[in-house]
Amino acid sequence: MAGPKSIAGTAPAAPPPLGAHTAHAPTEHQLLDQARQRASLAGEITSQLAGSLNLRRTILRLFALITPELADWAMLAMVDHRTGRVALHGGHDHTFATTVDRDRTEDLGVGRVLRSGQSELLHVALAPEGQTPTADGLDSMIPHDALRAEATALRPADVLGLALTARGTTVGMLVLVRGAGRGFPEDDVALAEQIAGRAAMALDSARLYEDRNRVASVLQASLRPPALPRVPGLRLAARFRAAAEHLDIGGDFYDVHGSERDWLLAIGDVCGKGVEAAVLTGRARQSIRTAAHFDRSPRGVLAALNAVLYEEESDKFVTAVCARVRPAPDSRTAEVDLAAAGHPAPLVLRADGTVEQVDVAGTVAGVLPEVGYQETTIALGPGDTMLMFTDGIYEARGPEGFYGLDRVIGLLPAYAGAGPEAVCEALEQDVVEHLGGRAHDDMALFAVACGR
Amino acid sequence: MTVLDPVLDALARYDGALASVDADRAVDLVEGLLDDGVDPVTVLVDVIASAQRTVGDRWQRGEWTVAEEHAATAVSVSATEAVARHVRRTPATRGRVVVACAEREWHALPAMIVGTALRANGWDITLLGASTPPVRLSQYLHDLGPDATAVSCSVLGALPTTRRFIEASTAAGIPVVVGGSAFGPDDHRAKALGATAWASGAREAVAAVRSLPTVVPAADPVNGSAAAEQAAMELAHHRLVTSLRERWSLAAQIVTTERLPLDSVHSVAADVVNQALHAVWAALLTDDPRALSHTAAWVADLLAARAVEPTLVGELGRLLARDLRDYPLARALVEHHWTATTGSR
Repeated sequence: MAGPKSIAGTAPAAPPPLGAHTAHAPTEHQLLDQARQRASLAGEITSQLAGSLNLRRTILRLFALITPELADWAMLAMVDHRTGRVALHGGHDHTFATTVDRDRTEDLGVGRVLRSGQSELLHVALAPEGQTPTADGLDSMIPHDALRAEATALRPADVLGLALTARGTTVGMLVLVRGAGRGFPEDDVALAEQIAGRAAMALDSARLYEDRNRVASVLQASLRPPALPRVPGLRLAARFRAAAEHLDIGGDFYDVHGSERDWLLAIGDVCGKGVEAAVLTGRARQSIRTAAHFDRSPRGVLAALNAVLYEEESDKFVTAVCARVRPAPDSRTAEVDLAAAGHPAPLVLRADGTVEQVDVAGTVAGVLPEVGYQETTIALGPGDTMLMFTDGIYEARGPEGFYGLDRVIGLLPAYAGAGPEAVCEALEQDVVEHLGGRAHDDMALFAVACGR
Repeated sequence: MTVLDPVLDALARYDGALASVDADRAVDLVEGLLDDGVDPVTVLVDVIASAQRTVGDRWQRGEWTVAEEHAATAVSVSATEAVARHVRRTPATRGRVVVACAEREWHALPAMIVGTALRANGWDITLLGASTPPVRLSQYLHDLGPDATAVSCSVLGALPTTRRFIEASTAAGIPVVVGGSAFGPDDHRAKALGATAWASGAREAVAAVRSLPTVVPAADPVNGSAAAEQAAMELAHHRLVTSLRERWSLAAQIVTTERLPLDSVHSVAADVVNQALHAVWAALLTDDPRALSHTAAWVADLLAARAVEPTLVGELGRLLARDLRDYPLARALVEHHWTATTGSR
């Protein structure tokens, strides 16, 4: 499966492969050459394997590095402590992967190596053509019929099963096979053990990362901003850039809840940054979702959010704007009820290019036991776009200072009638370019207009 | 009886939908084509991408404002999303590809089109959107362990950050396909940046991804002294831009599109100055002086369309060479390759 190695540069005429049987004793020059080959292979494997933290990619790279230099055929067996199975990777197709029951390996060489952490070099006793093969090294090391058939076809003299031990645990085994005419001299076994040690460390790191990542990515997925639904009668667009850009989660959020022609749009910002903020974000979003399920009025939703956060007796607070948007049956206009909790008021970009800031304000949620929120109602006409945003937008600070609300207001008129997607795209670009590569707070944009 | 080529006919109608910023019409049209059994990649490449090229041309000719360009692009985003909904009905059967744009690359649509074309061919895709920092790409590469990375780059200014993407991907052994107008007409720049493969369009990207090696070695370092000059210019960018904008006499000229501040003479001048500096970056980093001669021709076309004195293109080149006195390689490139011959128009 492994194709050409790269579009850049090919190696010069290669020396004979390591372990190749020769008619004469090797010359000093050839011995020196082989020693060099071994050293460079060990060095390359160490630096290249450090490049990936992904288990599958690390395995693929290991195979690419060791075949054919170290072995003509290789297979990896990794113990999966969660499932009690043994994962097998490789063979001729480096991307091949399957699992076998660990019990099936216990009485074989595989099981011995995995238990003892001791590598084994086994002789292969291939039956002559036409006779029933007897159990031998390949049967003992390769607990899978198709893989064993591949290895057998190479007619090897030996099979090397290397224990992969890292941080005190044998995490797997690397099986190496060299085809007819190529054996495993002592120096090569030593090299293989050295490489196995380095591979074990890289594979174990990747395994640890993958275990953590499995948990983190599930949690993270629930905290990421949602994919926007298609809402009949409305056009929606949003953008989110986390302060910790690689995490994709943070203290800003937006959400859409509703059905038919009655929708609640929310945008908000919890105090703090990063993972801690994201957890609070998750709670705030859930509270809004639940409240909106019973009463879609922005006033009611924010009051519920406030009460829930206050009762948690934490010093945490949230700012938010909720907009209940009800598009008319012809989808050309919509009525919008708004309430705000300590959050910047949305801007409305009218079809004619005028920009209005909605007159809506209220106390942050989570600080006072009981807060009554005021509602404001506006009308969205054909070609109007309402833009909600978080303070990370106008507080973005670049070489020329803060971005500022004036820049937001100044940018919008040119995009009159262009729709939510174009407005979000243009503003996001302008703000990020303004930053000039500097760090920023979480930033979110959420825009809505009428349309089918 | 007249037999119309349905795709050409659709292209003309799609173009009309773009011009009137009618997302509903564009989506209806695309969904109609797909329902009639037209291949999704044909819709993406021969209708959406094809019409989208004329959007840029219209801005360049001064017929459209930047805002109109954004609005039309948003229509194409909706249309591409419609194709994406259609192709997601069939399960992905191949591996995974992460599709991304490096920092300073704000044209997310080409990446979306490539991603959707890959999805139509059975690849599971993860789209990272516009202007993504390398740390975010790396996070996704290590979390997902994809079979390939695809990077779309339309603007010369994003080639240095695209190189970072290539480093991030190949360091993890993951092959990387690049494409987009910033790479020019052949694979020269892609090779210079250490990409595994270059694709001239979405269709070619699909073919390229199919024939990639499973694992690639980390990309070789780029040309040391040229890369160092490029990095130094990037650090001094704000100062270089300010200086050029102050002295280039375009500010005194009259420009035809004055309807909105975004398209004023100052804004066009700023855009051109940025492009010129980015062209120097690209020429340095990829050892391809065509980045400069093509940009000079592009500037000449842009200014001609706005009835600006053509000698200003040469003036900009002279100012640029003078301001780059601390960057000998860059300066030599500008002196030899910033030639103000007008392009096709």
